[in-house]
Amino acid sequence: MPSLIYLMLTPFAGVLAMLFLPRDGVRLIRYTALFASAATLLLAWSYLGAFDQNQAGLQFVHQTEWNTRLGTTFTLGLDGFSYPMVLLATLLSLVALLASSAIRQGVKGYYMLVLLLESAMLGVFLAQDWSLFYVFWELTLIPLFFLIDRWGGSNRHGAALNFVLYTMGGSVFMLISILVLFDSVPGHSFAMDAMTETSRLLPQQTQILIFLGLLIGFGVKMPIFPLHGWLPLAHVEAPSPVSILLSGILLKMGSYGLLRAASMLPDAVMALQEVLAILAFISLIYGGLLAWRHSDLKAMIAYSSISHMGVVLLGIAALNLAGLHGALMQMVAHGLVAGSLFLLIGLLYERTHTRNVMDYSSLVRVMPRFAFFTTLAFIAAVSLPGTAGFIAELNTLIGGFSRWGWAAALLTLGVLLSAAYAVRTINQLFTGPVRPGMQNVEDLRPSELIAAATLAAFTLLLGFLPGPVLSLVNASAYQLAELFRL
Amino acid sequence: MIEQSVWLVPFVYWLAAAFIALGYILNFNRGEAGEQLTAHIALSSAAIAFLLSLALAIMGLWQGPPGQVILGEWFSSGKIELSISFSLDVIGLSLLPVITLIALLTLRFSVNYLHREAGFQRAFLLLSLFSGAMSLIVIAGNAVLAFVGWEIAGVTSYLLIGYAIERTTATRNAVRVFVTNRIGDAGFILGIALSLYWLGSVEWPEIARHGSELDTLAAGVVIMGFVIAALAKSAQIPFSPWISRALEGPTPTSAIFYGSLMVHAGVILMIRLAPLLQQAPAIMVIIALLGLLTVAYGWLSGLSQTDIKSSLMFATTTQLGWMFFWCGMGWFTLAAWHLALHAIWRVFQFLASPGLVNQIDKPTPAVPEWLSRQRWLHRASLQRFWLDPLADVLLVRPTNSLAKDVQYFDEQVVTRLVGLPIYSRSVSSLSQWEAIQQQKPGGPVDVNQATGVAGRLMAWLANLLYWFESHLVLREGGASLWDSMHRIGTLVERVEQLLTEPRYLILLVMATFAVIL
Repeated sequence: MPSLIYLMLTPFAGVLAMLFLPRDGVRLIRYTALFASAATLLLAWSYLGAFDQNQAGLQFVHQTEWNTRLGTTFTLGLDGFSYPMVLLATLLSLVALLASSAIRQGVKGYYMLVLLLESAMLGVFLAQDWSLFYVFWELTLIPLFFLIDRWGGSNRHGAALNFVLYTMGGSVFMLISILVLFDSVPGHSFAMDAMTETSRLLPQQTQILIFLGLLIGFGVKMPIFPLHGWLPLAHVEAPSPVSILLSGILLKMGSYGLLRAASMLPDAVMALQEVLAILAFISLIYGGLLAWRHSDLKAMIAYSSISHMGVVLLGIAALNLAGLHGALMQMVAHGLVAGSLFLLIGLLYERTHTRNVMDYSSLVRVMPRFAFFTTLAFIAAVSLPGTAGFIAELNTLIGGFSRWGWAAALLTLGVLLSAAYAVRTINQLFTGPVRPGMQNVEDLRPSELIAAATLAAFTLLLGFLPGPVLSLVNASAYQLAELFRL
Repeated sequence: MIEQSVWLVPFVYWLAAAFIALGYILNFNRGEAGEQLTAHIALSSAAIAFLLSLALAIMGLWQGPPGQVILGEWFSSGKIELSISFSLDVIGLSLLPVITLIALLTLRFSVNYLHREAGFQRAFLLLSLFSGAMSLIVIAGNAVLAFVGWEIAGVTSYLLIGYAIERTTATRNAVRVFVTNRIGDAGFILGIALSLYWLGSVEWPEIARHGSELDTLAAGVVIMGFVIAALAKSAQIPFSPWISRALEGPTPTSAIFYGSLMVHAGVILMIRLAPLLQQAPAIMVIIALLGLLTVAYGWLSGLSQTDIKSSLMFATTTQLGWMFFWCGMGWFTLAAWHLALHAIWRVFQFLASPGLVNQIDKPTPAVPEWLSRQRWLHRASLQRFWLDPLADVLLVRPTNSLAKDVQYFDEQVVTRLVGLPIYSRSVSSLSQWEAIQQQKPGGPVDVNQATGVAGRLMAWLANLLYWFESHLVLREGGASLWDSMHRIGTLVERVEQLLTEPRYLILLVMATFAVIL
């Protein structure tokens, strides 16, 4: 198999190629970006055949010395946690690019930044060295800041600044934790493997302090309840394709980091297990209620993301195999569902220029294809059986149940809330009396149809056939769960 | 191995039904033009089924009946194991050709009889479904598989009684008949459950074998459910009145359902369960008594009927009463012979009846003299022994008033407590539409109107969290962060400005020197 560095650099090659393209060749720029992203997708999925599902450790490792004095290495690798995320990231990036046809100003810069963002995101998931991880983590901020600040909605400047400040604030804690960790392990190396081996032996008190720092860093990104202030603003103001990437992949970086931290500091996670679970429940209910409260469609989906990521946190906090399966499945499922919701609502907004759900009525008459996919996406957001979310919530529920007993049934409250806002929204968008202003809305165009259908197909496929994803993550999840076996 | 293909008998009927339904959906056999195709499909499937059943019967005569044929496992759950099995014993093999023959003849008769009827395709679809169900009842190897046929027969009967969907009487009678039959279905399910519980199997031979080991009481309890099912399906007292309501369907359906085939299903069930029945003499006495009562009921009511279909129907009821009486006396072979002969004879009578009415010009025969002299008996005969009103008083009205009370409770208590999606914008009437048009512009403004205690609690909590979110989280994170950074920025700017002024610069330099020194 080709080295993983090519996978990470393929979108970046697209950026370089675009430098030489004329500024006003919109179509050429778009096709170049789509080509680069599609090539990345193919490359990422081509590892599927060679990926050994029974192996818990890293595969396809690419390692180069970086700075021997500091102990940093340039290490890339894939395992059961990162590979599903890489697949998801490449898929959603292509979908986001497909949905970008409404961008008219500064096309060249826009596509370059999106591809740069894709490279950085892949870097985060591929990096197997904490210093490298941190570099890529920060690198995602740069394109995102410009994407929101330049192509966003009316309050974009505030949203972009807010987003960057929040994430940087979290990253500072993360950086301190990583440095403390580096200092306290004897090997003085940033490589994840080496760090994990030694940091497990640290005393519990130290582990907890280090883990709290990481929790703040990842919790901002995920987001966990009190640290979510950036999310509604950023999601609402960002252009829709960027919202897809934000909720589909960027949020997963947080939970992915948390998984890595959990395998590194098991004693701390064990001690803080209840705290994590309570935070998860609060996020779940809080996000759900606010999603229900909002009439702004994008804000609604943004808050529903908080609620859904609460399920991920709950699955991680359960610290057993079923819980981890649930968390990983929910990461994939939420990526697909939130991706398709932002995609569809974004397309709707382009056509009508209103995000208030009360302005809509009886859209099924004029845009049946849109209505079909949106209804499907909302059904998936409720995690009905047959959709990927169901597998995730079922596993999380089983994991939570074996850890906390009946208290895990509180999870169903979140499901109930999601049903409340999903059904309300479907009802408001598609049924009711015909409104004259909503008579000339164009249905989905072919490229948009492909994007929406792909996401819907994956949602359903994983709902009926979750085996492939679960066996992909199984070895790594099992290894992690073994750490917490009592 | 021809007995392995026995499943084909019901299957070909259902294949024909599926084809007719598909054709109707895809619009290639609708209307008069499609009648020929529909009839061909239904008739050829019926012919195949008949030939196959004939072959099976001949093979049975030649080599002796193969008995229980198990084709595979259906499903298993815990100790319960169900197989797809067929009972090709003497009963099954002898009744199957009778049934398939009657089905074939009735279908052929219907081709002309239903010509240019609006529901031609529907009738053939349902008749095919029914024929498959009926043959399944006879050859099913276990109670559950037989129940599948039993239920399909019930549903198709309901649909065919309501064949004239535009007539209120037809649809109302269809519902009444269906509900009456459901009482029997409940009994059937009870019987299945009890046999699983006590006998551990629902295969007919197993039930028969283990049944003869049961004591009297247990056998009586197990057989009770099946007996109720049989009584309801074969229109015995007290379920008899449904059969006269069932005459609303077109004549061929009356012939095949209530004249010859479906009403005999109860007798078939009794014959199948003969070994179990013989363990419970008390139940047999009850069956015999109910059979005799039905004979009296059918005979006396039949005397005062004035139309040919009703007369035939009461004659059928009488004969069925005799069959149950034979079963009650333990003469199951006699009952089986009676069944087969009666089925063939009655289907002929029913099919011939419309033509007969046209050909004879004699007036309707009067009530016999001795009956008209016994006034109360005559009255009872005319009123069909008040069985229908009795059921109304005892069952229908109490159920209705109970439903009313429950509805009141639901509206006054449950709805207020739980809440309803009152805020639904579905427009079902013109007046609603006009009301919506008038109260424009804008329409409803609040996105979440919740009702009920739970809904209000949710709305209250959501508002509280919204306040928290907008006042604390977003302001601290967003606007006020921006403000405070502005403030710090201006402060730093002022310090910078002061530092550029010479006096402060000199002061700074001096301070530096002071520190160094």
